[in-house]
Amino acid sequence: MADRAGARLPGQRGFGESLLWLAAVCVTLLFFFPFYWAMSQGLRNPIDTFTVSGLGVPWLSFEPTIDNWVTQLSSPESRRALANSTVVSVSAAVLALALGTPAAYALARFRFRRIPNKDITIWFLSQRVLPPVATVIPFYLVMRALGLLDTQLALILVNATFVLPFAVVILRQTFLDLPLELEEAVLVDGGTYRTAFARVALPLAAPSIAATALISFAFSWNEFLFAITLSSRDSLTIPVHIAGSVDTRGVQFWFMAVRALIAMVPPVLIALLAQRYIVRGLTLGAVKG
Amino acid sequence: MRWTSRARFLFLAPAVVWVLAFTVFPLGYSLYIAFLKIENKTEITRERVPMFDKEGNPVMLANGKQRMRTIIHKETKSTTTFEGLKNFRRIFKDPQVGTSVRITLTFILSSVSIELVLGFLLAVLFNRHLAGRAAMRAIMILPIFATPLAAGYLFFTILYEEGGPLGFLGFPFLSNPDWALASVIFVDVWQWTPFCFLVFLAALQSVPDELYEAAVVDGAGGWQLIRMVLLPALQNTIVIVLLLRLAEALKLFDIPFALTGGGPGIATQSYSFLAFRTGIRFFDLGYASALCYGLLITVMIIIMLTFRRLRESYG
Repeated sequence: MADRAGARLPGQRGFGESLLWLAAVCVTLLFFFPFYWAMSQGLRNPIDTFTVSGLGVPWLSFEPTIDNWVTQLSSPESRRALANSTVVSVSAAVLALALGTPAAYALARFRFRRIPNKDITIWFLSQRVLPPVATVIPFYLVMRALGLLDTQLALILVNATFVLPFAVVILRQTFLDLPLELEEAVLVDGGTYRTAFARVALPLAAPSIAATALISFAFSWNEFLFAITLSSRDSLTIPVHIAGSVDTRGVQFWFMAVRALIAMVPPVLIALLAQRYIVRGLTLGAVKG
Repeated sequence: MRWTSRARFLFLAPAVVWVLAFTVFPLGYSLYIAFLKIENKTEITRERVPMFDKEGNPVMLANGKQRMRTIIHKETKSTTTFEGLKNFRRIFKDPQVGTSVRITLTFILSSVSIELVLGFLLAVLFNRHLAGRAAMRAIMILPIFATPLAAGYLFFTILYEEGGPLGFLGFPFLSNPDWALASVIFVDVWQWTPFCFLVFLAALQSVPDELYEAAVVDGAGGWQLIRMVLLPALQNTIVIVLLLRLAEALKLFDIPFALTGGGPGIATQSYSFLAFRTGIRFFDLGYASALCYGLLITVMIIIMLTFRRLRESYG
């Protein structure tokens, strides 16, 4: 997002502007507070959980310790959950893009006669807004019948399915924004549609495809409903791992904070990496950020 | 959109087949299940078999008889009976459904409206030269991608009534039914206001300078400028954000699961939560599928009502 938009509203100079700046900073800090609080909690000794008053600034209010982090990161359950989440999210993103990119290209470049392209696009879009709980029961029964309960494969299939419509809709917009001439030149030179797609369009769309992959990864990483339904032990992902440890050991605030941060860090980092594409991605291409 | 080669089907087919297999088929299957009553019964049978030692010789008792042991067979049989529309009729009689619909509607109306208004005001606030704006904008992105389930647990520690950082306010954030729902809304507002803010900010920045200048020349002040220039210019964006938020808010599940466990009682049990509990926890699969179809039909109606708008924005 460029800073091209200058002082848009005719505010007062000087004092008024400073007040507005202060308001903006305060709002930002408020939205950041939960992350800060998690860090503060995670660095505390269990006995300091409720005794520390105020904002709980490490070193000022209490002596910080990294014990909670060490315990959490070295536990085999946490590691397995991290590994599962990584495998599932990466595979789902790759699978969704492998299926979705050609489909997006087809919708951007070809004309479908019987069903107009627009309607096919909306068909994909409507799956994105589909309430996931509607398919959780049939998925559970099918996976049980196939003996795939509690496997990574089941979660990969599910997450790829959820991310696919997103990839199709967003990448179609990307391809529409590319100049047509280069690809037509390939066709005129006797190249096939596949060459035009793979040699010309794909490289040009690469940044957008990468951003789509990152956002898809984050979506799968955060998915919880299907993960808790389809996995019981071996294929637990991070969100299910967090939910599980609460049930068995009661509320351990210090661990909870660390676990929440471990869960949040990858998708949040990804969001920062793909910053330029976030607005476009989350509005499925309707608003260009 | 001009090529018409048959190659188009090769490009599109894999994704379409995938969706048919993993979305359309499950939905159809779900409709079928909604007409059934599925009962799982575990039958336990005991069988007496002779015992053998390591060498394979039968173990004898003192009275000369062979020693026996018992094997317990557990077999889970699921029986399905066709029930017609019974599951669907049950929806209207179930008091939990009424409660969860009320909760979900309250949640959607309050959280989505707060998020849109707050997001718009923040976008207006940030739409000017601010030192460090890029950094502030980056921080505002963070909540959107924070794992919702983890956010729920995190806010559990923040809203904890005895010793949480907001505990000094003395409100029963999680133990009072109305407050618990307000808390769920609060977490959702924290997570999704930044989304509305970012989208509105992007849209504000694409409003041409001339529009502002013309309005300012005409003597429009701050509030008039918002009402006469910005709101009309953002009309399409606002509708899109509203639709996306509505669709997303209907799915409410993770936050109450983590923050309140649907409680106290069923005070924060959203519709999705109820369907999940009915199906996956209590294994009343037929009824749960019928519940899901209720939600599905609602979403389909929303899509049909907004179809033309969607077609304009996305087609």
